[in-house]
Amino acid sequence: MKKIVSVVLSAAIVATGMLVSCRKTETTSSYRAGITVAQTGQYAGLGLQTMEGMQLQAEEINSAGGINGVPLQLIIYDDKSEATEATLAAKKLIEVDQVHILAGATATGMSLSLVPVANESKIPTIILTGTTLQDDKLGTWVFRPTGTERSYVTLDLGYLSQTLGISKYAALIENSAFGEGGKAFLPAMSPDYNLTIVEEQYFDPGATDLTPQLTNIRNSEAEAIFLWGGTPTATLAIKQAREMGISLPIVGTPPNVTPDLMKQFGQYFEMEPAFVASTSKFEVWQQLPDTDPDKAKYSDFDGKFIAKYGNPASMWALLGAQFIQFIEDGLKRANAGSLDVVSARSQIRDAFEQTNHLQLYTGVYTMSPQDHFGQTEWRMVLVTFKDGKKLLLP
Amino acid sequence: MNSATALQIFFSSLNLGSIYAALGLGLFVVYSVTRVLNLAQGEFIMLGGMLTVNFYQVGIPLFVSIVMAIALTILAGLVLYRFFFYPARRSSGATKVFLTLSFAFIVDGIALRVWGWEFRSLPAFFNTQSFQLWGATIFGQTPWVTGITFLMVTGLFLFFGRTIWGKALRACANEPLGARLVGISIERMTLFAFSLAAGLGAAVGALITPLTMTSYSIGLPLTAKGLLAAFVGGITRAEGVVLGGFVYGMIEAVTAGTVPGGYHNVIAPLILAIIFVARRRGLLATSQEG
Repeated sequence: MKKIVSVVLSAAIVATGMLVSCRKTETTSSYRAGITVAQTGQYAGLGLQTMEGMQLQAEEINSAGGINGVPLQLIIYDDKSEATEATLAAKKLIEVDQVHILAGATATGMSLSLVPVANESKIPTIILTGTTLQDDKLGTWVFRPTGTERSYVTLDLGYLSQTLGISKYAALIENSAFGEGGKAFLPAMSPDYNLTIVEEQYFDPGATDLTPQLTNIRNSEAEAIFLWGGTPTATLAIKQAREMGISLPIVGTPPNVTPDLMKQFGQYFEMEPAFVASTSKFEVWQQLPDTDPDKAKYSDFDGKFIAKYGNPASMWALLGAQFIQFIEDGLKRANAGSLDVVSARSQIRDAFEQTNHLQLYTGVYTMSPQDHFGQTEWRMVLVTFKDGKKLLLP
Repeated sequence: MNSATALQIFFSSLNLGSIYAALGLGLFVVYSVTRVLNLAQGEFIMLGGMLTVNFYQVGIPLFVSIVMAIALTILAGLVLYRFFFYPARRSSGATKVFLTLSFAFIVDGIALRVWGWEFRSLPAFFNTQSFQLWGATIFGQTPWVTGITFLMVTGLFLFFGRTIWGKALRACANEPLGARLVGISIERMTLFAFSLAAGLGAAVGALITPLTMTSYSIGLPLTAKGLLAAFVGGITRAEGVVLGGFVYGMIEAVTAGTVPGGYHNVIAPLILAIIFVARRRGLLATSQEG
């Protein structure tokens, strides 16, 4: 009797499973892009803006008739700024939502967790950030059409050595996955600029008092500070340095100059010598000369963003939109049927890898089996701060 | 290390120590009556800071904003007691701890919806400017944080040692049955402990915001730090909690300033672990306690 019951039960389970999976593959004809971004937690500021950019771009594609006539559907989950949540969201997107493409992760820690999932599940994946991910670490299935940190480190280091003419600086690095990028790039690239790191200090995201680290920097031979951190704590370092009377030039990276941080720390950014940071060219598009070919493109995006959300777009929103453009280009060329998800995934992956001279907001991209970053030209600039505004440095 | 660096680390220890001590005291107040760790203590700090910023930004004077924030946070403490803790008063300690954690997540979620994810700050009290002392820097708000925390700690000691309410609270903790027999209402004392913890937390929140900034998400990490501090010193005694706060603050400041290569966040918990192993009831607890 027991045996019969168990046989019937397992048959029922199998049948239900089949029904469920049938239903899944029969989902209406659409290209599904599964997105995980930080909507809460410490990276929410960046993640929410990315999400808005993505939604704006997807709406535009769909109102123009979709991709080869197939609508693009975004399925978005919150990774809560945590790597484990990002992994769970990715698995759910791949297995339950049966997405064709995975995209996401607002900060390095979460991106790192997506890479193995993507490669194991054989799903074409686009990641937004991932400071320590070099070409060989992305694997076959992961693409990063945003370039590497090299583009902005180049600008910052060039500024220190050429504009300021200094040779010794202190690295103030966040103890986080993003900070690991600083640990990797700064010592590797500094010699090319005749720069030496004379003091290396670390702080935790969420730390409230950075005076011990800043005191060590003050007591060193450093002529400037390279600040490498992605959380608001990094910007707190600028405030505390200036309050301590440290008047060394400070250079930073794009996450430091989001509008909310500028609102909180603007006055410290502007204290002489004013904070200098690398950021996307888009963030200062109004200051570009009219002859700049990117100006019209940026103005157009900003206008559409303001019309939809009521506030100007940031670099993160632009990156979100760029993700979707990259996806659109790949899907268009792959021209895969949306119903057979497994074979569509592999066709889309191949199409991503054949991306050729694709003009996106942050640069020009050409992918290959050896290069899943593909950035051949980039659009980064240096900015400083004055009268509550970002000022493009020549 | 020169003397200015040592002094800076010392000030940093004092600064962090007073924050952790005040945090630990909030945990202690509830623990002493209920033997339950209130994992929502950090949320009171968040609410105190965020509400103060909220009121201040609409033009209400800073100190009025703080008082209003404290009052509203006490209300939140009462909600935690009445709708989470009280219905589960006969459940196990673990259930109650879990309920405080649920409350923390709920408050987090509401705060995110109401205030958004942005970090916020306040000016230093009386716009006190940062100043230099023997080569070390003291931020404008630091004297207020250490000074007011000191007053709060002293006040609590006097309260527990000298007043009938304070003694009643201690009686509930030490001998619940006996306390009931002499006519102390455990329920009323618990309610009072939650209000006190909430008010204390809110005051700390308003105090530290000019120094550390605040956002909807600072609560749980602060609770974790407060717990570490409280256990290092011994959560069964107010003195222990305060000592633990300062010891923890000192460990953080010293390691941040001296351990190279970003390893301070390895060394600091390691030192704490060694203290726990050596004195598992905390630095100040005697063998009969805890």
